[in-house]
Amino acid sequence: MRKLSESVKTRKNISNRIQFLIDYYFKGVNRNWSNPFTPFTTDTEWDVIYDETSNYIVPEKYEILDKFKTSFRLSAYPIALPDQFWEKSLVERRSWFIKEAIVNYMPQEILPGDLIAGARFNMMASRCFNEEEACRRNYVVYGPEGVRNREMEFHYRGFGNCTTASGHLIPNHQEVIEKGFKHIYEDLNTKYNLLTEEEKKGQKGNQLRAMINSSTMPRDLAEKYSKLCLEFAQEEEDKDRKNELIQMSTNLKRVPWEGAETFWEAVQSLWFTHMLIMTDENYPGPGVSFGRLDQYLYPYWKKSVNEGMSEEFGKEILKCFWMHCNTAYDATIYEGNNQGISASFGQLLSISGIGRNGIDLSNDLTYAILDVIDDMNPILEPKPSVRLHRNSPDKLLDKVVDMLASSQGAPFLINFDERSMAGLLRQARMANIEHLITPENVYDYASVGCMENTMVGNDRSGTVDNNVYLSKAIELTLGNGNELVLYENKLTHQSFSEELDSPKTGDPNSFKSFEDFYKAFEKQICYIIRRNYELYDALDTHRATFCPTPYLSCLVKGCAEQGKDITQGGAQIRMTTVEGVQFASTVDSLLAVKYLVYDEKLCTMDELIKALKSNWRGFDILHAQAKYRAPKYGRDDDEADAMAEKVMALWSSEVWKYKTTTTNVQFRPGMLSWNYWITTGYFMPALPDGRRQGEYFSNAICPVDGTDTEGPTANVNSVGKALGGRKNGVGDFEDYINYLPNGSSHTMTLSPALLRDKNHKEKFKAFLRGYVENGGTALQINMLDVDMLKDAQKNPENYRNLLVRVTGYNAYFASIGKELQDEIIARESHSRF
Amino acid sequence: MKQNNKAIILDIQRMSTEDGPGIRTTVFFKGCSLACAWCHNPESILFTQAFEWYQNRCIGCRTCMENCKYSAISFTKDGLKVDRQICTLCGVCTKKCPTMAIEIKGKEMDIEALITIIMKDRAYYVKSGGGVTLSGGEALLQSKFVLALLEELNRKGVHVAIDTAGHVSSNVLTQALDLADLILYDLKIMDREMHKKYTGKNNDLILQNACMVANYIRQNKRPNLWIRTPIIPLATDHCNNIAAIGNFIHKNMAGIVDRWELCTFNNLCKDKYARLDLLWNYSNCDLMTMEQMDKLADCARQSCEEPNIVLWTGSTKLNDKN
Repeated sequence: MRKLSESVKTRKNISNRIQFLIDYYFKGVNRNWSNPFTPFTTDTEWDVIYDETSNYIVPEKYEILDKFKTSFRLSAYPIALPDQFWEKSLVERRSWFIKEAIVNYMPQEILPGDLIAGARFNMMASRCFNEEEACRRNYVVYGPEGVRNREMEFHYRGFGNCTTASGHLIPNHQEVIEKGFKHIYEDLNTKYNLLTEEEKKGQKGNQLRAMINSSTMPRDLAEKYSKLCLEFAQEEEDKDRKNELIQMSTNLKRVPWEGAETFWEAVQSLWFTHMLIMTDENYPGPGVSFGRLDQYLYPYWKKSVNEGMSEEFGKEILKCFWMHCNTAYDATIYEGNNQGISASFGQLLSISGIGRNGIDLSNDLTYAILDVIDDMNPILEPKPSVRLHRNSPDKLLDKVVDMLASSQGAPFLINFDERSMAGLLRQARMANIEHLITPENVYDYASVGCMENTMVGNDRSGTVDNNVYLSKAIELTLGNGNELVLYENKLTHQSFSEELDSPKTGDPNSFKSFEDFYKAFEKQICYIIRRNYELYDALDTHRATFCPTPYLSCLVKGCAEQGKDITQGGAQIRMTTVEGVQFASTVDSLLAVKYLVYDEKLCTMDELIKALKSNWRGFDILHAQAKYRAPKYGRDDDEADAMAEKVMALWSSEVWKYKTTTTNVQFRPGMLSWNYWITTGYFMPALPDGRRQGEYFSNAICPVDGTDTEGPTANVNSVGKALGGRKNGVGDFEDYINYLPNGSSHTMTLSPALLRDKNHKEKFKAFLRGYVENGGTALQINMLDVDMLKDAQKNPENYRNLLVRVTGYNAYFASIGKELQDEIIARESHSRF
Repeated sequence: MKQNNKAIILDIQRMSTEDGPGIRTTVFFKGCSLACAWCHNPESILFTQAFEWYQNRCIGCRTCMENCKYSAISFTKDGLKVDRQICTLCGVCTKKCPTMAIEIKGKEMDIEALITIIMKDRAYYVKSGGGVTLSGGEALLQSKFVLALLEELNRKGVHVAIDTAGHVSSNVLTQALDLADLILYDLKIMDREMHKKYTGKNNDLILQNACMVANYIRQNKRPNLWIRTPIIPLATDHCNNIAAIGNFIHKNMAGIVDRWELCTFNNLCKDKYARLDLLWNYSNCDLMTMEQMDKLADCARQSCEEPNIVLWTGSTKLNDKN
């Protein structure tokens, strides 16, 4: 029998150079050097290095927060501080410290054959607090009313989780590539010199001085790498390699300090700029994304190709860049890379897409990048996103569908422009920033992280900062503001027995109609969103006070102008996103309550609540009725989908009501569920839709697994309707409505038979074009077959390269937990249950 | 209102990619004038409704049994048994079954309800050059409904294909030709007696209608025509038969057939027969091999003298085993 693993996609067109880099990378901890978090300390007894508040959206980490906190401190290298270090402002201290550490302490390394310089960037740098700041900060985090305790309760009690997440933005790469950091440096100096003496002494002065210092960090580091290249060149015997190293040295003398002149320089500039953001934030690549790579690199590509660079060599440069992106994963390489700990990287790049007047912007580089994606796949980073729209050319779709057909998990996410732009224009309206997002510039949006839509270069979109478990509102409605089960803090094993300050919306047995039930549900939705706001607001104030990122602030418009750090609300567009989790489970639960209790009267409210409290045990018939007979979202059933839209409108409009107090950051809605829809399934109670405790919730905007019985088109149509559909005269882009400007993650797993020959590929292209018209914003397609997956589960050793994508991030199938493996297998088919 | 405004619909399959060009919604009408021994949709042959029990959905709660006024349902160690002599198809059990494990196959639908479902996927038809396929059973046997439906779909600009075995009134077929965009016409067996043996009817009417369709298309330059031949072990899968069909096509339909599709036998309908308490002679029948299909396709190409129109579809043994 043919070995099943042979049907797994393999890499192709890989040169010896790239093959070496790949093989070396996969040696993992057996490499001579890698890129783990390297801690540095001011060597004070109060030093704080690990800031857990940017990690709270990874509940798997809760149990090891103290370990991180202590071990980084104990293993940190001390850095000799200059005189008057402690007299400087916090932001200046931090700017100096990080620059000193990366330029003068961290070793610089270049791998044989590598065409791009810049390694060893994962750093845990001292937060540079003085004693008083450390004390104040620790109280805010660890005090009895501190954010840590509040966060534990928020998550373990089933409300959600939130954090001031790093990254999740697209810096102004185009400006750096074109004009270099020198331009930023000069601009900052000009702005600084315009300050009054009073201002120079104050917060603005501190900030600008820190940013001026940070803007020279890439210059000084590039100089070191340039010298290293030259040293290697002198020792190099191979003539071609010697010339490459000399050229790299020359490249680094120019970029990123000055504007790039060749494609090679442009990619080198981009990598350096990007890598140092991860250094600055002490967090590797959480959605630090590249934006429209094929657009801003294209002039350099064209110029270099015209000047004689072969396309193959251009792709070789990109492949080196690809490998560098993967080194972000080295951060916790010694702790073990597993989902939930460090798989949360999303260095996303966007290609193709719409331009002004509906013109498609695909170019030669778009196709070259697609080749690189195809050649390198399977590989985890970077995460490509292909933007499709009504006028996407057939040539592009042919390539997209061919690549889908030849790999198991789609090697890219597909983003849909029309619905996405409708969301961003809605955001402009809701947040009163119609001067910043306009019909003329909305085309330039791109995605970050997994699939979250933002503007580029001036937008801290705060995607995934907040994740609210929507089904909590169902539970509280059924419990008259109380919970149906006793929740427990999994770290302390103490129960949360204190009564909630939730609205008492009435004994559900007294509700005369479903409308009464829904009114109570509305109040509970408002309550959980308010609780989320209160916690996030505290976290945001903490970050604004204690966690400046002056280097990143150089790369986002608005910070220099306002003299404010990006963490203090410096960006022109300031958002924090609330991602609605458990959406379809919540909608289906409302539909089930209506069906079981009010429409068909198959049970009383009291019986339903008893059934849920017993996790449906002893209620087999009612459970089956809830699960199989009650209407569901995802079947293109207009009544059920109308409920979905109603719930979407409800929770999303509630989100818009909030802004942070310290930074004036606007809350906005989006929908992805990372892995929370799985993990919360274990401790949140049974739901009226038939879900038992211990089973997963629905993922992002997807229907509950197995309920989309009417096939893929019906599933897609339901998603589009839940987002607002298309309504003449009231759309934000043409007649498209999108309640979720941040985007909505939609995953479909389809049978490979749908793509088996040319004829079927044509049909699938049309399916994608239909998705443009009827569907959501972001589609992740997995092409899997059940037998292969089951075999992979049993014999993981044969499938180490089997890559799947879940909610927009890649994972090696063999490395993810059994629950998620089962989940992917269950989702394989769209046939009935 | 009037009876002829409703039809008995067996099933509606959305995002169908196997019944004509593009992405389609296939509507399966119940009732057929043939009774092919290999029929893949045995529940479609009769016009009357049929009781089906899905074992994998059943939780054995006996709700159906308790609610059956006629005591037609019992449970044995093999699961649910229905006494089809007693069962009146009243439908109470299907409405009461908490897991939807019982289905009464065949549902009366009016044109409006059908159009509503069909139009949901309009965007995909437009982008793919797809549309609706009326299949069965034999859709054209419910002619008044089908012709009215065709008119409505024409008004809405939806591409329509009619999948027919050709054993229908010539008059109805002519009217359908006026309104359809594509005819999927089955030619199964050329030998008159063998045809009768395997399908219950001889092929006189089918061949006569085929010629009529050909003449119509020659005169009107439309609709499009695909010929489909199911490749069934022992019944249709020999070169003589395929060559005879090819000769017929060459003689009577030269130049007007867009595609001649040889559809490979599959045994996925095995459990359907079991659910209907019917025996199926093909239960243990192997799939065709790729070599067999290639050979038959060669026969077809030679005999019809239009090699470009011939293709074979479906899964073969080789594909399945590996």
